[in-house]
Amino acid sequence: MDFSKKKEGRMQTEDMPEKKSSRRDFMKKMSIAAAAGSAGLVVGGCSGTPATEKMGLKWEEYFKKHYRLMTQEEKDATVTRLERLAKLDRGIDVQMSNQGPHEQVLFGYAFNISRCKGYMDCVEACVKENNLDRRGKTQYVRVFEMDPGQLDPTAGDGQYHHEVPVKNKFYMGVQCFHCENAPCIKACPTKATWREPDGIVVIDYDWCIGCRYCLAACPYWGRRFNWGDPEVPKDEINLNQHYLGNRMRMKGVMEKCTFCIQRTRKGKLPACADACPTGSRVFGNLLDPNSEIRFVLANKKVFRFKEDLGTDPKFWYFMD
Amino acid sequence: MSKVSYVSGLFLGALATVVIMNQAATASGAPGSESVKDKIEHATEPFDGMKVTTAYPLPVKMVESKEHYQGGSFRVLARKGQITRFRCSVCHNDKPVKVQNGVLFTHSDIQLNHGLGRNMLTCNECHSIEDRDFLVDKEGRKIDFDHSYQLCGKCHFRQKRDWLGGAHGKRETYWAGERVVRNCTSCHNPHSPAFPTKMPATYSLPLDE
Repeated sequence: MDFSKKKEGRMQTEDMPEKKSSRRDFMKKMSIAAAAGSAGLVVGGCSGTPATEKMGLKWEEYFKKHYRLMTQEEKDATVTRLERLAKLDRGIDVQMSNQGPHEQVLFGYAFNISRCKGYMDCVEACVKENNLDRRGKTQYVRVFEMDPGQLDPTAGDGQYHHEVPVKNKFYMGVQCFHCENAPCIKACPTKATWREPDGIVVIDYDWCIGCRYCLAACPYWGRRFNWGDPEVPKDEINLNQHYLGNRMRMKGVMEKCTFCIQRTRKGKLPACADACPTGSRVFGNLLDPNSEIRFVLANKKVFRFKEDLGTDPKFWYFMD
Repeated sequence: MSKVSYVSGLFLGALATVVIMNQAATASGAPGSESVKDKIEHATEPFDGMKVTTAYPLPVKMVESKEHYQGGSFRVLARKGQITRFRCSVCHNDKPVKVQNGVLFTHSDIQLNHGLGRNMLTCNECHSIEDRDFLVDKEGRKIDFDHSYQLCGKCHFRQKRDWLGGAHGKRETYWAGERVVRNCTSCHNPHSPAFPTKMPATYSLPLDE
C-alpha cells in the first residue's frame, strides 16, 4: 500500500538525529527508548508488526503538542498518525483534514422559528455527519416543541415523538451557539477548547481531561460528554474528518457542534442546514455584506437566546 | 499620624495604578475583544465566494436567474427536467387522443390544493391555455417553468422578497462559491404547496446536566 509507504518514509525522516534538540524530540526519544527497552520491541522502524507500529504511533500521539502550538508540519504529522491508527484500530480509510480558517470569514447562523416544522432531519443528518455515539444517542442539535408566547426552550418539549407539525405549536432548534465571548472557553483549565479565527469554538479532544467544567459553564446546554467509548457502526462512519471536528472521540472527553468544520471550511453548508427540508436554517459569512445571513440580520426580526448574559452568540433566531 | 498618611498614600497609589491599567486595557482594544456586532459593522467589503476553491460547481442542472439579489446574479435549480411528461405540447396539440389513453393523459394523479376555500386555484390560473409549455400570469405574460418564482411571487411577494435575499428557501450545498438557490418548486409541490404532517426523523433523550 502506498499509504503505509508514505507513513514509513515520514517516520524514518522524523527519526533522523540531525534536528535541533527540543523538549519534544527529547520526550520522543525517551518514549521510543522506553518502549524499546521495556518491551524489547523496535518502535518507529519500518519492519515492525502492526502491533509494534500501533504502539509507536500511540507513543508519538501521547507526547504531541497542543494543537494551537503545532507547526503545520506537526499538524500534518499528527493527522497522518491518526489516519494510520484508524486503519490499524478499525480498518477504515479515514481522510483527515487539518484545514485552517479562511481569511475574512466569520461564521454565523440564523434559525427561522416560523418555518421549522420539527421534522428533525437536521438532528439525523448531524448524527451521521459527525460520527455521534449511537448507543448513548448523543445529539448536538435539539429541537423543542414550544407553545406560542414562549421563547425559552426549557419550557418546551425536547422529547416529542408524534406527527409534526402540531397545530398552534412552533419549533425551536438549539445547538452550540459559538459565542464570541464563550464561558466554556474561560472555564477550561487545560485550554483544550478555544475559538478559531473564523468564529468556530472547537475542542482538541487529545487535550481535554474530561473535567466537564465547560459543560457546567455553558448556559445553552451546548456541550456533550462521552461517558463511554462512542459506538458507531463501521459502515456508517463518516470518513471525511477534521482534526477539530468529527474525528472519532474517545471515552472521557467533551464534544460539541463545530458548525461541521470539516464541511464549512470547504465551503459547504453544515449538515443540519443542508438537510433541512423547510429552509429554516440559514448559514453564512457574517463579514460578507452580501451573504444570506447578513440579509436576515438586516431585514428580519431577530433575537439571540439569553443575550443578557453577554456571551455574544453567533446564532440568531428570526421569524417571517 | 505619619504612619496613617503613609498607608493611605500607598493605598491611593495602588488605586491610581489600577485605574490607569484599566484605562490602558480598554484603550488598546485587543482584536479578540470586539463583539460580533462591531465585527459585522466593520465588514463592508464583499467576500469573494470563489476564493473558497473547494466549492466546485454542483452536478445539478441550473439556470441563470432572471432577477438579482443583493450580491448580483445567481442561479436557480432547473425544473423542466424534473417534470415527468415535459414538454406538454407533445400531448396538448391539435392531434386527437385515443380514448384508451385517456386515463393516463388526464393528470388524475394531481391533487390540487393551492389556495384557501373559495379562492382555490384552478389549472389555468397558472398554466397557459395558448402555449401549454409555459406558465402564465394574470397579465398574460408567458413564464418559463424554470423561472416559476416569477409567477409564484405575484401572490407570494413577501416570500419572494425573502427568497431573493436568502431568508426564505435555501442554498444548494455550499455557502461559498457561486450562489445557487433552490427554486420554489424544488421544495414546494406547486399543486399542493403546504408542507405535510409526518413523523420526525428521530427522537431525543433527556440531557444529562
